[in-house]
This record gives sequence, structure tokens and C-alpha cells, in this order.
Amino acid sequence: MSKPPDLVQGTLDLLILKILALEPLNGWAIGQRLTQVSGDVLQVSDGSLYPALHKLERAGWITAEWRPSENNRRAKFYSLTRPGRRHLEKESANWSRLSAAISSVVRLKEA
Amino acid sequence: MRLERWLYSVRLRFRALFCRDREEQEFDDELRDHIERQVQAGEARGLTPDQARRAALIAMGGVEQRKEEIRDVRRGRVTEELVQDVRYAIRTLGRSPGFAAVAVLTLALGIGANSAVFTVVNGVLLRPMPFPEPDRLFLVSLAPVDGPFRSGPVLTDRHYLEFRAQDRQFEQIATFSTSEPTLTGAGDPIRISDGTVTPEFFDVLRVQPQIGRGFQAGDGQPGTNPVVLLSDRIWRMRFNADPRALGTLVRLDGVAHEVIGVMPPGMTFPSDAQVWTPVVVRLDPHNSWMRPVVGRLRRGVSRREAQAELDVFARQPGRVSAQDRDVWRPAIVPLKELLIANVRSSLLIFTGAVGFVLLIACTNVAHLLLTRATGRRQEMAVRAALGAGRARLVRQLLTEGLMISLAGGAAGVVLAMAGVPALIALAPLGTFPRLEMIRIDGWVLAFTLVVSVLTGIGAGLVPALRATRQAVSDTLNQGGRSVAGGHERLRNALAVAEVALALILLTGAGLMLKSFLRLRAVDPGFTPDHAITLTVDLPNSAYGSAASMQTFHTALLGRLSVLPDVVAAGAVNWRPLGSALIRGDVVLEGDRKVPDGFLVDKPAVTPGYFRAMGIHLHSGRDFMESDGAAAPGVVIVSQSAGRALWPNEDPIGGRVSLQDDPTPADWLTVVGIVDDVKQQGLAKGADPAIYQPYRQVKGTFFLSHMTFAVRTTADPALLAPAMRAVLHDTDANLPAQSIATMPDLIAATTAEPRFQTRLLTVLAVLALTLAVLGMYGVLAYAVALRRREFGIRMALGAQSADVVDLVLRRTLALAGTGIVIGSGGAIALTRVLDQSGFLFDVRPTDPTTFALVALGVLVMAVVAGLIPARRARRLDPMVAMRAE
Repeated sequence: MSKPPDLVQGTLDLLILKILALEPLNGWAIGQRLTQVSGDVLQVSDGSLYPALHKLERAGWITAEWRPSENNRRAKFYSLTRPGRRHLEKESANWSRLSAAISSVVRLKEA
Repeated sequence: MRLERWLYSVRLRFRALFCRDREEQEFDDELRDHIERQVQAGEARGLTPDQARRAALIAMGGVEQRKEEIRDVRRGRVTEELVQDVRYAIRTLGRSPGFAAVAVLTLALGIGANSAVFTVVNGVLLRPMPFPEPDRLFLVSLAPVDGPFRSGPVLTDRHYLEFRAQDRQFEQIATFSTSEPTLTGAGDPIRISDGTVTPEFFDVLRVQPQIGRGFQAGDGQPGTNPVVLLSDRIWRMRFNADPRALGTLVRLDGVAHEVIGVMPPGMTFPSDAQVWTPVVVRLDPHNSWMRPVVGRLRRGVSRREAQAELDVFARQPGRVSAQDRDVWRPAIVPLKELLIANVRSSLLIFTGAVGFVLLIACTNVAHLLLTRATGRRQEMAVRAALGAGRARLVRQLLTEGLMISLAGGAAGVVLAMAGVPALIALAPLGTFPRLEMIRIDGWVLAFTLVVSVLTGIGAGLVPALRATRQAVSDTLNQGGRSVAGGHERLRNALAVAEVALALILLTGAGLMLKSFLRLRAVDPGFTPDHAITLTVDLPNSAYGSAASMQTFHTALLGRLSVLPDVVAAGAVNWRPLGSALIRGDVVLEGDRKVPDGFLVDKPAVTPGYFRAMGIHLHSGRDFMESDGAAAPGVVIVSQSAGRALWPNEDPIGGRVSLQDDPTPADWLTVVGIVDDVKQQGLAKGADPAIYQPYRQVKGTFFLSHMTFAVRTTADPALLAPAMRAVLHDTDANLPAQSIATMPDLIAATTAEPRFQTRLLTVLAVLALTLAVLGMYGVLAYAVALRRREFGIRMALGAQSADVVDLVLRRTLALAGTGIVIGSGGAIALTRVLDQSGFLFDVRPTDPTTFALVALGVLVMAVVAGLIPARRARRLDPMVAMRAE
């Protein structure tokens, strides 16, 4: 139920947006892809994934539609909207700045 | 792009609110789909189906919790709670329909009155004039703002021409005035309003004719063919909207004019004009015209820049004489002022009055809500204990207040829909300019909505804050016994405020009523009963000389005087209470001095006029037919003129002249003295007058406009058809400009004060009723709260009279405080009535009115207090103590 301790608040949104920037996916596949591309480092609990998706949908960054999926079931597919893409670009830039700054602080040699 | 996002999120919210079932189904499907996939994945890793399902469910951490989280995210808590609040409010209000009905009705009255008055204010004051870019249209004025020649915004013709020559700030300017010619050659003769305008007039306003052409340079020049533009109404009424009307000839006062165009519907500016004729302004020694001048400012030029230009113009040498400079002021005035100047102060006063009514209604409802909220402290406490925050409770109570005020607003619009036509019907004709603009439109609805919301918050906020203050802490502990005197100070303040507000309105209405009664009691100087008048204008085209006019007058008078029941008939050129009169200088024979600035009215009358109008002849004789052109010149003076010109002497036999440089033939001998007449209206002072016999008046200007007065022994109104017939027999081409009984004419001059008084009285009575109801509510509640206390007191030996005393003492304290505060407010506010010219012969601080109103309010308050007091007296101590 709990989030992985290393998943900084708000970064889940960024990760979801980034993954959806590549292709529209359903909720389950988003979770799988996240674990897969981060080399199992980032694990998002199924519990926090769906509220996050609905929050992004309500914010208008992503949009959802029901489509038949590969096994002939109906599945909800999420995709990135244009405002979402812009938001992602902004947030990625922010993230790069922030992580670079933190890295440089962490790498400081103790005197 | 922000918009795109916003629209999307609105759509989602909308779905969340109204398609709940489908959404729920989708949450369910989505999560179920996830679990299934997870199970499959687990099986693929070698788990048994059961193990895989368990692992999937554990990872999800409870499907129902997730769904709840999703719901929170999607609906947004505020929206969700708002819906809850609204539903809850409707449900609880539905459970106490009596309370809801009283509260909604109270607010409906308050809001409806405001919406109705706003509808009129909106139509008259706020809506723009029906011309393109009306905010660039201004009147140019350089005219006396004070003194006997005080006028509206106008320019003299000379200033108009000079200003036009040097002005840089206006695109174009035009001058206009109105006349009332008789239209013939297009159906029955009819008197209509004619806009006499310079050819640029319609270019300034940017109004084009719907067919034909407008005026162009050269129209109106002497020697050119006279032309006329028709209004849409006249075109439809008299020409059946036939385009072939163009080019036909119509006659205005007998002069043929060619119809060159028809203006679009709705164009009736200025003064309800039905036709327009071109005029060219020329200066000659006799030109003393002052007319309104309208101009369209150049784009980007401000009113202030135009004013600066006009200021410079006014200061140039030779423009205004040194002695006039104090009162002649240059002014750039929005065009709309011309229409609304008279009505603005009434409208503002009524706006204030209905505002007071709404405040009282609002106070009433605040008290109702407070009472109700107090009764629900238990409920609040329980909800608080179950985790509702105070903000949440306040919001819920506010929502209830808003539901009431919105319902009140909706009912108020319905009231306004009925009220506005009634208001217009009650008002004397001409009170409201731009009648066609007065209607309930989007602005009125928006205004009502805003007022409703503000009212709801105003009435609901304090009770909501009060009721929830202790909810959380200790109400549960009290085991449900309400504390006697809860919020007593606040309740008292509400009652005091209501009394004070109602008192202010009542005082205003009382002053107006007294003023109106005084006005009605004024002696006009003539005897209106049994008199009827007929006014006729003789066009110069048909009656070119004084002699031909006098012949007509004598003929008509002869026919009028032999009508059945007629006891006297006569005529005057400017009737009392009419719109125009001639005042002027007078010279005394010898070295007698006329007092400085002394002006007299100079009416011309026929023999028999004084008897017909019922003006008392004090001494001397009436005019006779023998006072003709060849006979010695004679005059009759009014009492005040006699006193001013011949102080302490008998004026009869005195000699005066009405010419500036009299020749021997111009000297006139006083032969009689009559009563003073209120020539300009009941509220004005009596003008001194010097009457001349009409046969000794030479100028056609003084004879063309004549009012015939007839005194009858019967109902004067019955004589009207016969008078019309007699006029037709004398000259079939002459319309009666007006036929009106003198009582009607007097009523017309007092119609506006009567309307204002009536309206303010209705509002004040409404305010008083609401205030008394509010007072009753406060007292009844206080008694109900203290039943136990009263029960104990009576059980301990208090007499029932003591209890009544207690209640009445409190009533008097509340009402007394309200009356003192209200009287203070009234002293401050009734001055506005006086300054707006609403009061005649009554001081704004009239002690009698103040005392009577205060007494009346006190009596009403005691009545309001007696009912709960009697209820307290009849308490059975045992029942009261066991209650709750």
C-alpha cells in the first residue's frame, strides 16, 4: 500500500506522463512499464496508481477512452493531451534542474 | 489552451455529478480489469490462480478504498459537499414548510421591490441611448444655472454659431428644438411634436432614414422648398407604411412640406418627435433663441478636453457680459441628461427606499435563521462530534440561507414582472422618459441574482457563525436544554435595527404626505370646480392679423357662451398652471419708481374671463366689449402687483405702461383689482399680473395661443363634446390642442407628488409590517425561551401582571432604542428629500411628523409585544417547568 520511500512526492505524475508520452496505455500496462523501464527500481503500488491517473485526467493532462484490448476485453486507455505534453516538458526541465542540483550537493567532498 | 483544459474538466465534473451510476460502473470495470491482468501475470509466473488473485488484491490494498479515493479525486471535495449541502438544505427546508414559506415570502417582497425599481433605473438611467456610440454624444451648454432665467443645457444661437466656427474637439455639432404644429393633409388634423433641427442633426446622431433621404446642406434655407421627415409611427398610422408617401405634400400649420424620408422605428428624439423639419440658424436683432446643442466628440477626445475647450470659449472677451458671468456656466453634458435630469432624484430616492425594505426583510430572515439554528444546536453538536469541521457546518447553514434567498429572488422576479407595469401605470404620464426601454432583461435578472446571493449571505452568515460557535464543545453536555437568552444581544440588535430602518422610511413618507396635503390645500386664486378649458392655436398661415384672430375668438366665445348650463365664458392667452407665460417689465407714469427686478405676468383676457375662471374681482370693474382698439387703454392688476406698484394707495386710476419707452398712447389706466393667481403651479408663489383686454393687444404672437374657459352648473366634463363640436363649426381645420377640466389640470400638476407620496407610503407601510413581524418574532421567541424562568417566577409567587410587565418593558426598551437611532438617521436622510425638491412648505425636520411617526411605531411595537406577553401570562407554571 505504501509508496516506495524513494518516490518523491509528485514524481509519480511526471513518470506517468512520460510513459504516456510514448504511447497510450491502460492502467495495468502503465504500472508494468514503469517497473520495467526503471529496471525494477521504481515500483508503484497498484493502490496509488489509479487515484493518480484519475487526478491527472481531471487536471486535463491526460484523457481516457474505453477501447477493446488485445484479449477482447474492454479496457480504459489513457493518452497524453496537448496541454499535458506541455506540462510534461516543463516538469521534465524542472526535474532535470532539481536532480542536477541535488546531485552536485550530494557529490560535495567533505573537507 | 487553458480554456480547452478547463472545458474538459468541467465536462468531467458534470459527468461526476449527474452520471454517477455510469461512472461508478467504470471505476469498477477499470479496477476489475487491472486485477484480472495481474492474476494472469501471476499465473504466468507460476502461481496458482488463488495465490495470484490474493497477491493482486493485496497489491491493490482494497478495491473499495481505491474507489473512494478515485471518487474524491474526480469530484473534488468542494463540489461533492456542495451537492450534499444543497440536497440537505432542500430536505430540511421541506421538513419545515412554514418557516421556508415565511422566509421566502419575506425575501420575495424585499427582492421583488428592488428588482422592480432596478428595472426602471436600468431602463431610464443605465441603458445607453439608441444611437451608435452614444457615449460620444454630448450637449454643449453655456447658460444661466441660477436666477430667474435659469435653464437646462442650451446655447444661444449666437454662441452656437461662434462655437461651431472655432471648435476642434467635436466631429460635428447640431442644434435642435421642438414645436407643436398641426399636421393636415394626412388624415384628420392632429397636433404633433416637430423636431426643428439643423441639417447635420442626424449625421451627429448617426441615424439614417429607412427610406428616402435625410436632410442635407441647403435644406431649410429661405427660398427652398420646405421638406419634412416622418417618424415610422406617423408613416404607419397615416400612410399605411406606403413608400409612395415620399414626394407627397403634407401641411404643417398650413404650410405645405414635401415628405423626403421616413426615419427608422424607435427614433423619436427629441421630445417624442413625430416629424422633423430643417432649420438654418441665422442671427438677426430679434433672435433670442436658446436651444440644446448636441455634438459627437472626435474619437479619442475626452469629455474633459471638450470641457476645457468650452471653458476657453466662454472666457473669450465679449462672450458673456460681466454681470452674467456668475451664473452663466459652460458645461459639457452627456446627451442622456436631457432626458433623465428630472427623474434621477426620484429614482435614487426610491432606490434607497426599497434598499431599506430589503434590509428589513433580510434582518427578519436573519432572525428566523438564528432561531432555527439555535433550535438545531443538538444536530450541529452531533454532526460536529461525528467529525464535521466548523467551516463545514457554517457552509451547510449558509447553503440553507442561500436556498431561501434564491427562491425569494425567483419569486421576486415574478413580483417585479407584475410590479413594473403597475408602477408605470400608477406614474403620471411623462414621469419616466424612455418608457420603451423599461423591461426585465438579462441585467435585471443578473442584478436580482447578485442581490439574492448577497441577501442570502447577509441573512445567513451571522446566524451560521453563532449557531456553530459552541456546537463542538458543550451542547451535547447540556442534555438538550436550550440556554435561556441564547444570542439575546444579537436578537435585540436585529429588532432595534428593524425598528430604526422602518422609522426612517415612515418619517420620509410622513413628510411627503404632509407636504402633499399642504400642496393640495393651496388656494390657486381661481375656482377650479365647474370650469373646463379648451385651448386652440391659430396658425399664422390662416390667421395673419390680430384682427382676424380676434374675430375668431369672438365668434367661438359667442358659441361657447350659449351652450346649455354655461354661466360664464372667457378666454386667456396663457392659462394658469399652463406651460408658458410672458413676463416682463412695467413702467409707471410720472417719477414713480418700479421696484428693482420687478417683473409681471401680462396675460391678455376677454371680458367674462374672470367670472369663467372664478377669479375674484376685488374692486373696480371687469373688462367690457367696449374696451376695444379705439377705446382708451385699460388694465386690471392683481393684488400683489397693485401693492408693489402703488404701496399704501388705491391702484385704481393709476397709470402704467407695458412698453419700455412709452408714447402717450401706451399709457394704460387701472380699472380693476383681482386676486393673485398661482400661474406656474401650486408649489410656486403667485406672480403679480397685469391683465389687458384682448382687443387692445396688437401682436399676433400674443393672440395665436388662446385658452377658452367655460363655467357650467353641471359636470364640466360633460361639456367637452359640445365644445369640440362648436370649435369644428367655427373652423373645421383647427384641432383642439387640449380640452381639460380645471380640476383635472390641478390634479395633473399634483400628479407627480401624489405618485411619489403614494409609492413611498406603500414602501414605508411594507417596511413597518415587516419590522413589526420581526419585532413580534424576537419577542415571541424570547418568551418561549424563558418559559421555564417565567414558570419558576410564577411558582414563587410572581403575578401574571409582572410577567406581562417584563415582556412589555423589554418591548419598550427595544422600540425606544430603535426609535432614537432611527430618528437620528431620519434627520440625516430626510434632508435629501428637501434638497431634491420633494417637500413643499414642510421642513425636513418637521417635529410634528417626527413625533407622530415615533408614536405610531411605538404603538405598533407594543401591539407586537402584547401577543407574546399575553401568552406568557397564561402560562401554567407546572407545564412550563416540565417542558423540554
